[in-house]
Amino acid sequence: VEWNVSVWGKRREFTEHIEKIAELVEERSNGDFTMAISYGGLSNERENLDGISIGAFEMAQFCAGYHPDKNRAITVLELPLMGVETLEQEVAVARAIYAHPAVQDEMAQWNARLMMTSPMPQYNLVGTGEPRATVESLDGLRVRASGGIGELLAAEGAVPTSVTATEAYNAMESGVVDAVSFAQHAHLSFRTIDVADWWTENLNPGTVNCPVVVNIDAYEALSDENKAILEGAVDDAIQHYLDQYALLLEDWDNVLEEKEIEKVRFSDEELARLAEEAQPIHEAWIAEMTAQGLPGQELYDLARSSLAEAKAAGK
Amino acid sequence: MSTPSSVLADDSLLSRIDRSVFRFESLLNLLAGCVIFALVCLAVWNVVGRSVFNAPVPGFVDWTEQLMATFAFLGLAYAQREGAHIRMDIVVGRLSGRRLWAAEWLSVLFMLLMATALIYGTWFHFDRSFDVSKPLWSNDSTIDIGLPLWPSKLLIPFALAVLWLRLALQLWAYGRAFLRADPAPVAVPLIEDPAEQANKEAATVAGARVDRNG
Amino acid sequence: MDNLIDMKALLEGVDVFDMSLWLSGLLLILVVIGVRVAFAAAFIGFLGLCLFFMQKQGFDQGLVTAAKLVGQVPHSKTTSYALSLIPTFILIGYLAYYAGLTRYLFEAAKRWIGWTPGGMGVATVFATAGFAAVSGASVATSAVFARIAIPEMLKLGYDKRFAAGVVAAGGTLASLIPPSAILVIYAIIVEQSVGKLLLAGFLPGAVSAVIYAGLVMGLARLRPSLGPPVGGFTWKQRFQSLPGAAPILLVVLIIVLSISFGWATPTEAGALGAGVVLAMALWQGMRWRELKGALMEAAKLSVVIFAMIWGVLIYVRFLGFAKLPDHFADFIAGLPYSPYVVLMCILLVYVVLGMFMDAIGMLILTLPVTFPAVMALNGAVGGEAGALGMTTEECAIWFGIIVVKMAELCLITPPIGLNCFVVAGVAQDARMDISVQDVFRGASPFFVADVVTVIVLVAFPGIVLFLPNLL
Ligand code: NA
Ligand code: NA
Repeated sequence: VEWNVSVWGKRREFTEHIEKIAELVEERSNGDFTMAISYGGLSNERENLDGISIGAFEMAQFCAGYHPDKNRAITVLELPLMGVETLEQEVAVARAIYAHPAVQDEMAQWNARLMMTSPMPQYNLVGTGEPRATVESLDGLRVRASGGIGELLAAEGAVPTSVTATEAYNAMESGVVDAVSFAQHAHLSFRTIDVADWWTENLNPGTVNCPVVVNIDAYEALSDENKAILEGAVDDAIQHYLDQYALLLEDWDNVLEEKEIEKVRFSDEELARLAEEAQPIHEAWIAEMTAQGLPGQELYDLARSSLAEAKAAGK
Repeated sequence: MSTPSSVLADDSLLSRIDRSVFRFESLLNLLAGCVIFALVCLAVWNVVGRSVFNAPVPGFVDWTEQLMATFAFLGLAYAQREGAHIRMDIVVGRLSGRRLWAAEWLSVLFMLLMATALIYGTWFHFDRSFDVSKPLWSNDSTIDIGLPLWPSKLLIPFALAVLWLRLALQLWAYGRAFLRADPAPVAVPLIEDPAEQANKEAATVAGARVDRNG
Repeated sequence: MDNLIDMKALLEGVDVFDMSLWLSGLLLILVVIGVRVAFAAAFIGFLGLCLFFMQKQGFDQGLVTAAKLVGQVPHSKTTSYALSLIPTFILIGYLAYYAGLTRYLFEAAKRWIGWTPGGMGVATVFATAGFAAVSGASVATSAVFARIAIPEMLKLGYDKRFAAGVVAAGGTLASLIPPSAILVIYAIIVEQSVGKLLLAGFLPGAVSAVIYAGLVMGLARLRPSLGPPVGGFTWKQRFQSLPGAAPILLVVLIIVLSISFGWATPTEAGALGAGVVLAMALWQGMRWRELKGALMEAAKLSVVIFAMIWGVLIYVRFLGFAKLPDHFADFIAGLPYSPYVVLMCILLVYVVLGMFMDAIGMLILTLPVTFPAVMALNGAVGGEAGALGMTTEECAIWFGIIVVKMAELCLITPPIGLNCFVVAGVAQDARMDISVQDVFRGASPFFVADVVTVIVLVAFPGIVLFLPNLL
C-alpha cells in the first residue's frame, strides 16, 4: 500500500511527526505500507480537507483556523487565552477534543478521520518600538493577528491589520504593523524576529490547531495489521515532534539574546484582566455553536477539564 | 483602446443569438473591470485609513482575495468571443476554408470537453463550501475575518457555464461554416486581411490625421 | 464495480512518471495545432489525473475524483492576494496609456536617441524601460507598446519582424524594473523581502536595457534595411519633450517613498501608483468612455492571464501527483560537478522549460525544487559567504533576479512565449500583418542578449546586490 500525504511549505519541525510516522510505518510493516509525503504538490494548504473528502490523497495536515466554517467543532482549541502553556498540554487537550463524537462526526462529513494533532506553541506577539506589557498599552497597537486572537486584542483597543504571513516582515519593517502574532518557528521563518524589539513571553493569547487526518475509506481498506501499525506509530511520532520542537525552543532563547530582544512579561493581575475580557468571546463561541446544534458547552468544558488534568499531571 | 470586434453579423438566428450573448458577456467583463478598479480604490483607502486614521480596512486581504474571483473568471467567455485566449497559430494560420473550420471546430471541442469537466468539478468545489443549514449558508470561510467562500466559488461554475454556451455557439458556427464551405462565417472571431488597416492604426495612434492613400 | 472499462486492469503496471512524460509530449502537440494554451494544459492535466486515479480507483470513481480535484484548482490558485497585483499593474499600464505617458515617453526617447542606428528600435527599448517603472507586467508593457511603437516603425519602413521583436523583448524589462508582479511572486514563494527584491531589480533592468540597445544598434549597423535612424530634432524640441515624460518620475517617487517610509506594503504601493496614474489620466481629460475602454481591456487581459495560470497549474497539479519535481530534485542533488556547472545546468533547464511554459507557471512549478538546490549549492552558513560568494540572503535575492530574467526569457521563446503572443494579438486586433512567427523571429536576437545579461549577472553579482545592501 502506498499512501499519498499532502502537507505544505517545506519540511520543518511542524511536519516532523508526519515524516516520523511515514518512517515508522514503513519500518514496522517491512515496506508493505509506505507514505509519499508531498510538500504542496497535491493541494493548497486551504484545500487539504477538500482533497481528503474527494479521495485525492489518503492523509493530510491542515489548520482549523484557515477555514473555521469547515471545522467548527475543533475551533474550541483556538479560543483565545485558554491558558495553555506547553506543547504537552496542547497535545492532551487536542487528544480529548478529537475523541469527542461531535468532532468526529463533523470530520466524517469530510470523509476524514483524525489521527493526531500538530501541537503549536502559543502565538505570542513580536513587536517593534516600546514594549507592551500592560492591557492599556495594547490600545492603538497595529497588530497582525487573525481569528480569536485578533478579536481579543481588538477588544483591548488594538487595531487588527490585514497582512499576509509572507508580507509580515515587510509590514513590520515599514511600520505598517507594530506587532505580529505567530508561533516561534513562524517568527523565525517569516523573519519578523529580525526587525523586532520585544516578544511577549507569557501573554499566551492562543494558537491554531492543526490536525493530521486520514481518508476514512483508505483507512478502512487497510489490513488489520497495517491499521494497528499506523495507530501504534502515533505516540512515537508525536514524541519525536515534541523533541524536535524542544530543540527549536531552546534555540529561540539564544536568538532572543543574540538579537537583544526584550522578553516582555505581563503581570498576573494583567493576565487575569485579559482572561476576564476573553470570557465574552468564549461565551459567544459557545452560544454560536449551540445555535448550530453542536454541543458547544460540552466541548468547552471538555477543553477546560482536560487542560486542568494535564496541568495537574505536571505536563 | 477597445477595438472593434472582427466578428461578422447577419440576421440569421445564429448571429442574433451570438449578439445577445455577447451583450451579456460584455456586461460581465465590464463588471470584472469595475472590480479591478474598486480594488485599487480599496487599497488606497486601506493605506490612507491606516496612516491617517489608524483605521485600516478590516479583513482587507480576505476581501481582496474573494473579489479576485470576479476578474479572474467573469471575462472568460468574453475573451473567447474576442478570440483573446492565447494560442499558437503556426498551423491554423496556414489553413483556410473548410480545413480551417474543421481545425477550429476540433479545437473548440477540446475546450468544450474541458469546460464541461471543469463545470462539474468547480460546482462540487462550491457545493462543499455551501450548506443552507449553516449561518450565512457557509461551510467554508476565510482565515482572517471569516467571510463565507461560497459566493466566489459559485462564480466559477457560473462563468464556465457562460463560456460553455459561447463554445457551443462557436461549435455550431464552425460546424455550419464547414458544411457550407463558408469563406466568412458569422459569430466567430476572424483574422481579417490586415495590410491596409495597419497604416490607419499607425496614424491614429501617432495622433496624426488619417491618410487614406497610405 | 460496474465500470465502463476495466481501467485498473488496463493501466496495471503503467508508471505515472513515464505517463507524465508522454502526456507532456501530447500537450505540445495540442498547443502546436492551435488549442488555446490554458485549455490544452488543463486538458492534459485532467487527462493525466484521470489516468492516475483510474489506475487506483477504477474508471467511474477515478473520473469523478479527477474532475473534482481539477475543479479545486481555479478557485484556490487564483484567489491569492499576491496575484491581485497583476490586474492592478495591467490597469496602471492602460491608464498610463490614456494619460498619454507612453506616447510622451516614446516621443521623448525618439527625439533624444532616434538618431542612432536603428534609432526607433533603441528609442523603443528605452521607452519600455522607462514605462517599466510604472508597469509591473511584461505582457501589458508589450501590449501597450505594440499599439504605439510598432505602427510608427512600420510607417517609417522598419522591418515588421524587427519592430515586433523589439517590442516583445522590451516588454520583458517591466519584470525586472520595479514594480514587478513576478518578483513579488518570487519573493512570496521563497519568503524573502519583497522590498529588497524590488530594489535588486533596478540595476539589472538597466543593464538589460543597455545590452538590448547595443544589440539593436549592432543589428541596424549590419543590416541597414531593418530600419533607418530618425534624426533632425533640435535641442529645443528635445527639451520640450521632457515635461510630458516627467510624471513617470512622480509615480516612481511615490512608489519608492511609500515603501521606504512605511506608508504601504509593496502590494499597496502598486495600488497607490495606479491611483496616481488614474488621477493623471482624469486630469488629461479621460472620461467614462475611455475609462470603460481601459477597464474592459484590463479585465480581458487579466482573465487571459489568470486562465493561463490556472490552466497551467492544473497540469502542474498532475505533475505533482506524478512526482516529476521530486525526480528533478534528486537528479540535481546527485550531480558531482562544481556549483557553477550545476547552476548552468539549472539555468539550461529553465531555458528548455521556458520554451513551453509561461513565466509564472514555470516559477511556481520549479522554485520549490530549484531554490533549495541553489541555496545548497551556495552552502553559506550564518553570515558567511558560500561557494557562490554570497551569504544565504544575498544568494536568495540574487537568484531571484537571475530566475526572473530566465522567466522573462521564456516570454520570447517559441513555441509558447506570452509576450510574442500578445504582440501578435494586438497586431491582429489592429489589423497589422504580423503573425506570431514573425514576432518570434524578430525576438530571437534578444535571446542572445539575455544570455549575455545572465552571464554578466552571474559573473558580477554586485550589480544585483548593490542597491538592496544599502537597505
Ligand atoms: Na516594472
Ligand atoms: Na517560451
